[in-house]
Amino acid sequence: MLSVLIWAPALGALLITCLPQATSGVRARQISLVIASLVLLWSIYLAGQFDLSNPGMQFAEALPWIENLGLSYRLGIDGLSMPLVLVNSLLVWIALFSSDPQISRPRLYYALMLILGSAVAAAFLAENLLLFFIFYEVELIPLYLIIAIWGGARRGYAATKFLIYTAFSGVLILAAFFGLSVLSGTSSFDYDLLQQQTLPLTVQLVLLITLLIGFGIKIPIVPLHTWLPDAHVEAPTPASVLLAGVLLKLGTYGLLRFGLGLFPEAWRVIAPGLAVLAAISVLYGSFAAIAQTDMKKIVAYSSVGHMGYILLAAAAATPLSLLGAIIQMVSHGLISALLFLAVGVVYAKTGTRDINQLRGLLSPERGLPVIGSLMIVGAMASAGIPGMMGFIAEFIVYRSSFEVFPVQTLLSMVGTGLTAVYFLIMINKTFFGRLPETLANLPRVRWQDRLPGVIVTLLIIWLGIQPNWMTRWSEATATAMGQGRMQHYSTVQPLSETVLSKIAPASQGS
Amino acid sequence: MNQLLYQTSWWVPLYGLVGAILTLPWSVGLVKRTGPRPAAYINILMTVLALIHTALVLWAVWDAPPDRLLIPWLSLPGFELWITFLTSRISVGAAFVITLLSLMAQVFALGYMEKDWALARFYGLMGFFESAMTGLALSDSLFLSYALLEMLTLSTYLLVGFWYAQPLVVGAARDAFLTKRVGDLLLLMGVVTLSNLAGSLDFTHLALWAEQVELSPLTANLLGIALLAGPTGKCAQFPLNLWLDEAMEGPNPASILRNSVVVACGAYVLIRLQPVLALSPLALEILLILGALTAVGSSLVAIAQIDIKRALCHSTSAYLGLVFLAVGTQQDELALMLLLTHGIAKALLFMSLGSVILTASTQDLTELGGLGSRMPATTLAYAVGAVSMLGLLPLGCFWAMLAWAETVWTTTPWLVGILLVVNGLTAFNLVRVFVLVFGGQPQPKTRRAPEVGWLMAVPMVSLTIIALLLPLLLRQWQILPTWAQFNPTVLLLLLGAGGLGAGLGGWIYLSPGISKPVDLVWPSVREGLAYDFRIEQLYQITVVQGVVQGARLTAWFDRYVVDGLVNFVGVVSIFSGESLKYTVSGQSRNYLLTLFLALFLALTVIGWGYWGSGF
Repeated sequence: MLSVLIWAPALGALLITCLPQATSGVRARQISLVIASLVLLWSIYLAGQFDLSNPGMQFAEALPWIENLGLSYRLGIDGLSMPLVLVNSLLVWIALFSSDPQISRPRLYYALMLILGSAVAAAFLAENLLLFFIFYEVELIPLYLIIAIWGGARRGYAATKFLIYTAFSGVLILAAFFGLSVLSGTSSFDYDLLQQQTLPLTVQLVLLITLLIGFGIKIPIVPLHTWLPDAHVEAPTPASVLLAGVLLKLGTYGLLRFGLGLFPEAWRVIAPGLAVLAAISVLYGSFAAIAQTDMKKIVAYSSVGHMGYILLAAAAATPLSLLGAIIQMVSHGLISALLFLAVGVVYAKTGTRDINQLRGLLSPERGLPVIGSLMIVGAMASAGIPGMMGFIAEFIVYRSSFEVFPVQTLLSMVGTGLTAVYFLIMINKTFFGRLPETLANLPRVRWQDRLPGVIVTLLIIWLGIQPNWMTRWSEATATAMGQGRMQHYSTVQPLSETVLSKIAPASQGS
Repeated sequence: MNQLLYQTSWWVPLYGLVGAILTLPWSVGLVKRTGPRPAAYINILMTVLALIHTALVLWAVWDAPPDRLLIPWLSLPGFELWITFLTSRISVGAAFVITLLSLMAQVFALGYMEKDWALARFYGLMGFFESAMTGLALSDSLFLSYALLEMLTLSTYLLVGFWYAQPLVVGAARDAFLTKRVGDLLLLMGVVTLSNLAGSLDFTHLALWAEQVELSPLTANLLGIALLAGPTGKCAQFPLNLWLDEAMEGPNPASILRNSVVVACGAYVLIRLQPVLALSPLALEILLILGALTAVGSSLVAIAQIDIKRALCHSTSAYLGLVFLAVGTQQDELALMLLLTHGIAKALLFMSLGSVILTASTQDLTELGGLGSRMPATTLAYAVGAVSMLGLLPLGCFWAMLAWAETVWTTTPWLVGILLVVNGLTAFNLVRVFVLVFGGQPQPKTRRAPEVGWLMAVPMVSLTIIALLLPLLLRQWQILPTWAQFNPTVLLLLLGAGGLGAGLGGWIYLSPGISKPVDLVWPSVREGLAYDFRIEQLYQITVVQGVVQGARLTAWFDRYVVDGLVNFVGVVSIFSGESLKYTVSGQSRNYLLTLFLALFLALTVIGWGYWGSGF
């Protein structure tokens, strides 16, 4: 069942590379879209079959692979990975749809995009540490190539920086995995076996910090973040969508799955430091975003800030905060995808992303009014305006982290205000004002350009109004993961019975 | 029947929202053939439906005890969020007033915005606006109220930025959003804290909780200040007051709502939060100080404005300051009454000014004059609105002011002083505007001014009648005390202050011997008032500079320290072909690079070695 999510796009990629040389980009795009649609439908089907009350792994698959190394092909999905897999399937489709059919070397491009989606899905599904690592590394290659071949002017620099940073991240993660396996004396890398390890706390701490740096590069946590703005700026729009939408989540996913999941005691020790790091990331990313003039850099630094919320909630590690972390992952995935899509259209039509050169793009006849409206929606969702999913995700994160780390949470909340500042600056400068003569003859925006953004916008609003649709996948898993933590910090009783009973008589009429 | 009306009371906010959504085909340009008019009609129709529904609910709840409607929204481990609506005389009545004013503003806009190409977008935003406000009136949960306040912030941004091609508008929309956002952010901190402390965010629950709980003074004070900040921003109180002035760049029909009911929404939430605020004496003191400062300061600033909309919007801040004072002295009912009477009077004033602006195509007081005989309905509307605002003749605000002065007369007499000052200064200002706009000689721009068309005249005249009838309604509801209960000293003082202000204004601006602009005070004082006590510079040197410098410093640090270090390590420069240059200073760099590479390779080899054995 789960293997379909991995192998369908991989085989699709193979198919596309085997197409004759003369195949047009349009045809390659169509084929890849069909495959991505099938994968998306399959993910939705799986989500329908998903048992909401079961916190553990579902649809498990296990095949022995290289037993003497401890590597086995074991897949499973739970409330932590389910939403991410769904977002991945959706965004791969969106990214393929928003790809330029006239792109050079289309067969390679579409094949790489499919491989990227496949590897990311596999990493979310892997239940064996080595298997996770393999896919975590595999995913680098297509993205590196996409940036290096179809990127902007400084693509060489950006792609290499990306590769080195994330390869280094992989090395650290591998080291931690090996350390864990060797020191705990199990020859297997299976997740559930390693979960029962009983290492001394100091060893756990060393391993966890290694993991933290490794995943911290991917998330990215300040000061390990500088690869991200460069990669975003140079990457083509569909790659940016995937990079911000799902690839960064591999970092937070890994931290939750392997950091919190394997080293719960050590996690408790480093959690306060982690929360401080989260607050720093939020503020640093937000302040840095204010000073940028490239639209993509603004969105990229905003990613740094908003990933900090996930880290904050992960550090608190209560059932509610873990749920908040997962929802914030989904929310940031969709919102940043929307923002990058809108920026991508602006860049494609105007040829620049400099907010000092753009002006008045909201102009109804000759500008990009719909794209501008989508951008405003994305910015407002990102700034936590209610009615969209960014708000409820952040609210749950704040509400739950406040119990454990009040000061760090309050500091992080300032980031929400700063988000409004940088996005308002961007919108005011690029979309408001009078359209200058230099931008008077823009190419027409077609509905194909708008459709991906419209789909994501509808989802953002729908899930903002009905967050139950998003929380229910993860509730059981988050509760199970945060259970240990809750005993330490349960200072707040839920809706107090006593007080409610006093109110109750008044509500009987309704 | 009543049961059904209770159960459906939560539909009331939905009408506006549905209307807003239905305008989308026109506002995004899918439907071009019909022009934007149908979108406007749809919205007006939805508002009429909302009005009928609200009226029915109001009729049903009038004699019934308050009731709550609980809708579960989100249930998570250890955390539940409910959408809670309160159907009481006050909440449904507030929703009714909002819907009524929204309907009038929308009909008014049909005339005012007649030739605007983006009419559909405007009506969509108005529907959204109305929906958020009626929701706020009915809400019984701080969470919902916070969410709706934020939606109001968003729709204010979009409505102020409606004519986004004009440079002033761009700045105004941004400032309105960010100023309110500062308040909202602090409010959010309060909401999150309160959610943790109290468990539930229902106002009813919070009030009970506040009675029982013992908080440390620090927590209580911080909480109180945070909760205070949101309404401060929303009600345009010092130091978050300037956005309202700038927001006057937006279309006038939206200004009608903004000055009458939108600002009132902030105060409404404040009133609901009053039991929690009472936990912190410091917060209550700050509330009084902010209210008093804004009441007097804004009244003074209003006098020095030459833009007619701005001259009146500062008095909105001043009156909301009075409301703050009423809340601070625990006079919630009086605060609500003042909100109602002020809202109707201010809406009427802004409709009248809208007519003037549309006819004369200017909002500069120095370019207006002599409209009195040319626009009789508009003049009458202004006169009735102005009198309703003042404690001068027994219309609207007079009763609210009198009742309020009555209650604080014995407890905190200095508040009566503030009230008198505000009354006098506002009287002066309103008479000043009246004389300059409607009296005097016709100016080039007003010489050929006709009365406005019926689309604008009908709502204006209807509201004039409502304003005239309001005291009778208040008496009908038995909110007003009888004559015998009034303290004659207070009554005389109030009338005296109003009369003095009005007389002084009339004397100065009617007598031809006094040169205009009036130079009775030092120019520096006049300048200070005209530029809002230089509060903008205060923003500049504090918050704005703080954020700008913080951003610059971070960006510099990011570029030269964090990234610089990375580049210095030199890995990148070796791998990227474009900068493969060896310079003299590259020696040490290469050295480091070799070290790093060796480490990297070693680790990789170890990894691969161990790993590859299996393959």
